[in-house]
Amino acid sequence: MDLIPTPANAPLPPASLSTVVQPAAAAQALVVALGTIHTGQGNAVPTRILPGNIPAIEVAPEQLVDTALHLRDDLGFDLLSCVSGVDLIEQRQVVYHLRSTTRAWLMEMTVNVPATNEIDSVIGVWSTANWLERETYDLFGITFAGHPDLRRILLDDEFVGYPLLKSFRPTPLTVHDRATTATNGARALAGDTQRGIGHQRVVPSHLSQGDQERLHPGTPTFGSTQFHGRSFPPQTWRHQPDYNGSGAESHEEEQKK
Amino acid sequence: MATVNEAPRYAESDEGFRTEEMILNMGPQHPSTHGVLRLVMTLEGETVVHCTPVIGYLHRGIEKILENRTYMAGIRYMDNSDYLSPMLNETAYAGAVEQLMGIEPPRRAQYLRLITNEMQRIASHLVAVGTYMLDLGAFTPILYAFRDREGLLELFEEVAGSRFNVNYMRVGGVLHDLPVGWLQRLEAWLDTFENSWKELDVLITGNEIFMKRTQGVGYIDPDQAVAFGMTGPILRASGVNFDLRVNRPYGAYRDIKVNPVVREDGDAFGRYMCRMYEMKESARLIREGMAALPGGPIGTRTPIALRPPRGETYFAIESSKGELGIYLISDGSEYPYRAKIRGPSFVNLQIVPELMRGHKMGDVVAILGSIDLVLGEVDR
Repeated sequence: MDLIPTPANAPLPPASLSTVVQPAAAAQALVVALGTIHTGQGNAVPTRILPGNIPAIEVAPEQLVDTALHLRDDLGFDLLSCVSGVDLIEQRQVVYHLRSTTRAWLMEMTVNVPATNEIDSVIGVWSTANWLERETYDLFGITFAGHPDLRRILLDDEFVGYPLLKSFRPTPLTVHDRATTATNGARALAGDTQRGIGHQRVVPSHLSQGDQERLHPGTPTFGSTQFHGRSFPPQTWRHQPDYNGSGAESHEEEQKK
Repeated sequence: MATVNEAPRYAESDEGFRTEEMILNMGPQHPSTHGVLRLVMTLEGETVVHCTPVIGYLHRGIEKILENRTYMAGIRYMDNSDYLSPMLNETAYAGAVEQLMGIEPPRRAQYLRLITNEMQRIASHLVAVGTYMLDLGAFTPILYAFRDREGLLELFEEVAGSRFNVNYMRVGGVLHDLPVGWLQRLEAWLDTFENSWKELDVLITGNEIFMKRTQGVGYIDPDQAVAFGMTGPILRASGVNFDLRVNRPYGAYRDIKVNPVVREDGDAFGRYMCRMYEMKESARLIREGMAALPGGPIGTRTPIALRPPRGETYFAIESSKGELGIYLISDGSEYPYRAKIRGPSFVNLQIVPELMRGHKMGDVVAILGSIDLVLGEVDR
């Protein structure tokens, strides 16, 4: 891996590239435009600037659809890019990322989900919201009032729980002894697994052909003739004079042990 | 004798035939669904009345996995999201972390990202066009397309160590610098690709059967495309000039200008043409990037344990299918608190029931293929 020398015709690098995707001027214009949004009490919605110069506003759940219509019709945010659920443990949020195809604007709108765990659907404002809200419902359990088809989308209909919540556990917390050779990570640390405590040993009911030959040499094993579910060897073999019977006896001794 | 209130079990068609609604289940194991997509279609004769996509068969919970991986370790899982364009996925995730940390990769790294991203875009579009023709019953173009794509994957293997799940991007730069002679081999590939692009174009475009099956099929209005959140070639084929590389340039796209391919058709043929000419444009961008490739380091020095400051950000790039956005929340630890993937395929699939309605059964595959779905990204 050698460095490629810079080609002779390469232009000199500019002094510095702007480090942000959204130019500061566009972000400032957007912040001014967002100042027209007011809460129900008449106060202007405070605007934060996220890394990447993305203005972000937080709207009340009751103001969601009105604000969305205002953003779409008056400010030109015609493209709903992304709807994300967020579980902040003490609070659930739904975050909308909006774009304008005409003005190269990007902004974020956050809604704090009330205790009823239900907010209004914006599907009437942006048709994209259909599946995006279904996905948020599927993974976070937040319901959207007015959604025409609020079903699980990525997971099974029978799935229990909402996996992207921080309280979600993929397995039940009570671990029962299982008849398996697989080890549980938490138990392996305790050393119980190595000592075999709490685990049922799984013993095959019959020996496979290779084990049969290894443990009882001389036993005739014929390919797939494995006598599954029957005592080995068959009763008819015991009284054959040519057969010395050593394999059968040792196998029975094994069984007794 | 039927009463007035009883709904008729049979509908009378225009020709006087009696037809009955039928429910047809297509997939999840169907060669034209490009993965494990299931379409439950209600047919009235041969006409599709209603179509319900059923997804989730490939759901692996990548967003949950990302929450349990460090920032650097999460990049590898982005490969599996849209498995036909891993370079682009990694660029989006690494870019989101960089934006949250406020670091800027060196210029050489940005140019390497541009070159590999555009190569990946060509590879993805080649698969899109090739498999689309396979869906429509033409077997030859996919052989041409995969022949050319193989050259790109070999170049990926040289630079990243892996053909497919490349794991090449890093927060603050890229993993390896270019091997000796790689740029010359890429240039040679571009020279051959110009000819093979013409071959592919002559083979497909203008073919009467292909034109009959795609022109006027699956028309998307510009307003409808925006309302349904379409991005990428689908949006541009509907006449909306929107490309994140142009409208919100990131990385080296601030230096190298993109000419977006916009068409007014809005139908399946327009989307196909959009992808074809985007390949040409990507090849031009690679050449420009190679000519202007600066020297210097390929990555900034970052701490081994990345701990972005508390905060949130949204970073989106123009993937081969559209806007690929990452919404990232950091709580100041080594693990992302929330990482949301806005996959273009997931959003683009939403419009499929609207497009199918009223079309004939034979057009279903033609519409579905023109959307260019990757189920790994739909289900995540």
